[in-house]
Amino acid sequence: MKIKNPQDFWAGLMFMAFGLFFVIVALLFYQMGSAVRMGPAYFPVVLGGLLVFLGAIVFARSFMSQLGAEVTAVKLPFNIIDLVVAVGVFVAMTYLAKALGISNDYAMLASALIVSVLSVVYRPESKALVLILASSLAFAYLLKPLGLVFASAALIFISAYGGHEFKWKEVAWLTLVLVVFSVLVFVKGLTLPFPICPDFIENCPIR
Amino acid sequence: MESIWNNLGIGFVECFKLQAVTMAGITLTLPFNIIMCLIGVLLGTLIGVLPGIGPVATIAMLLPVTFTLSPVGALIMLAGIYYGAQYGGSTTAILVNIPGESSSVVTCLDGYQMARQGRAGPALATAALGSFFAGCVSTLIVAMFAPPLAEVALKFGPAEYFSLMVLGLVSAVVLAHGSLIKAIAMVILGLLLGLVGTDVNSGVLRFAFGISELADGIGFVTVAMGMFGICEIIGNLEQKEHREVFTSKVGRLMPSKEDFRRMIGPVMRGTALGSALGILPGGGALLASFGAYTLEKKISKYSHEFGKGAIEGVAAPESANNAGAQTSFIPLLTLGIPSNAVMALMIGAMMIQGIAPGPQVMTERPQLFWGMITSMWIGNLMLVVLNLPLIGMWIKLLTVPYRILFPSILIFMAVGVFSISNQPFDCFLMSLFGLLGFICVKLGCEPAPLILGFILGPLMEENLRRAMLLSRGDPFVFFSPSKPISLGFLIASAILLVIIALPSLRAKREEAFAAEDT
Repeated sequence: MKIKNPQDFWAGLMFMAFGLFFVIVALLFYQMGSAVRMGPAYFPVVLGGLLVFLGAIVFARSFMSQLGAEVTAVKLPFNIIDLVVAVGVFVAMTYLAKALGISNDYAMLASALIVSVLSVVYRPESKALVLILASSLAFAYLLKPLGLVFASAALIFISAYGGHEFKWKEVAWLTLVLVVFSVLVFVKGLTLPFPICPDFIENCPIR
Repeated sequence: MESIWNNLGIGFVECFKLQAVTMAGITLTLPFNIIMCLIGVLLGTLIGVLPGIGPVATIAMLLPVTFTLSPVGALIMLAGIYYGAQYGGSTTAILVNIPGESSSVVTCLDGYQMARQGRAGPALATAALGSFFAGCVSTLIVAMFAPPLAEVALKFGPAEYFSLMVLGLVSAVVLAHGSLIKAIAMVILGLLLGLVGTDVNSGVLRFAFGISELADGIGFVTVAMGMFGICEIIGNLEQKEHREVFTSKVGRLMPSKEDFRRMIGPVMRGTALGSALGILPGGGALLASFGAYTLEKKISKYSHEFGKGAIEGVAAPESANNAGAQTSFIPLLTLGIPSNAVMALMIGAMMIQGIAPGPQVMTERPQLFWGMITSMWIGNLMLVVLNLPLIGMWIKLLTVPYRILFPSILIFMAVGVFSISNQPFDCFLMSLFGLLGFICVKLGCEPAPLILGFILGPLMEENLRRAMLLSRGDPFVFFSPSKPISLGFLIASAILLVIIALPSLRAKREEAFAAEDT
């Protein structure tokens, strides 16, 4: 059997995996009920089953040649092993944080950092993807401990590093402008409850 | 007819109502709603002009901000962003040959050619005037058709609602790129993801796995930002940046007499077609502009000029996309059913304000309903008055490189998502959906159907359960002749599915999308 359409092959697998996941979880943990009084599992099981079925069709179709259909290779900047490694890092860090009794927020930050470094070193083609995702994680988990100023700076530097060109001076200026803008608009103007400065700096000039 | 004018009168009063607003400690008394309208259309034009950021991501970003606004002001602003983006998108299409907005893809074909011939000015003016005409007409259409439709919808039971949603989802599938089965699978995946969280009927927490942040379900904004915003940025970064701005000379703005003569027909037809296609569930600006361009190319006596700078090729799609953008509010306002991703976000905005979308909005909150409709007309007027003189400013914006833009967009998204519940977990989910969206795009599955499924998931389950309970478990309740409306919706869905499965039409559909990709 030769895979004629890799896009369909992986899409089919993905749909089947999602469908099975929802069906199995629903059947294991929730009540099915009857058609008259549907339990919480009813709708997910029906939909999940349908998704497995459709996924199977897409999967099967990938082995058949289709007339006129354009076959495009899947150009993902990572392979399935990379994905497993990345997920593994997050899981391992979460357990480590639990074992050490520290906040899971640090586990997320550490995982994002490890995956970013791995990506930049071993998979340069996935740099844009990983750094954009990592930058929003960094922002989210740094905002409470370090405040808006540093969290924004982290987001801008990490994401800009994922772009085509990285110019120190330009990024520094951009950071300055965006940080001032964010503080004025989000915290002062829209009164979002974000800390501006880190916890540990006392008598911060802007509060 | 008289009642329409009365209703529009209510709207005008609402738009210009003076309101005392306290912002950052200063209290101001201003016609606040009209200011929100101005902000909305300006913002809409801005993001319309900038390629790489669309109305979906912008509205999603601003949703948390609307918390602090009055319901009318918030909805007026968000609506302004959507139709404002249609104006802005054409500017980029004409001057840079890149669609600023997906609905102005076809405008590139002839608009850019006109610009190359030194007729950028008339092309821009045609787009603006055509859009304005379409905006005026479609505002009237919304005002005329919304009330009777809402009246019909008030009689809908759970069976009718369920079937209507099926029709909506089927239409969303029809409009997706590429494989049909994959689009249906994406809808179902969206429906399933929408079920995460507390089940309203039994109170059981589903698919949450002990994560307390998931008790209220996955936030719609989070999914939309991840699948559209983040995914779009990553996609843009994968391609090499190239953008040549055609700014040598915009030239004189006013179209000539001959241009005006040639414009009238296409603008009329574009408006009519756009209004009709906008009302369809799954429709909206994008479909409207494609339909109008194709129609015009078929029937125009200047069809040989198409693709070489025919003014008809700018006038028709530009009027159609604006008309479509506005009439797509009809299903939202009368039925509470979103016809596209932007409308799904509008539902989110209404829910944030504590308004349950549906036919009762018009009777219970006439100020909101008519204020919003009237604001569309006022917004269109503002756009045409402001945009032509401001064209120089928009052109300057186009020279801002993407490497400056994307970190800025990203920070707005992160702040917006974070502020929903003030938890970092939402940003984590956003990244996760960004990754999922990226993978889906690479596998040839479009994210838009997933989003529609996601918003309709809980509603569908609710109505399915109720309908089945009322019919004592008889699934034929949806098809029985005693429920003609429900039956009609399902027949329409079936016909749609069969039609697009037909080989001849399938080729046509692929052709249309191929044209869009180039």
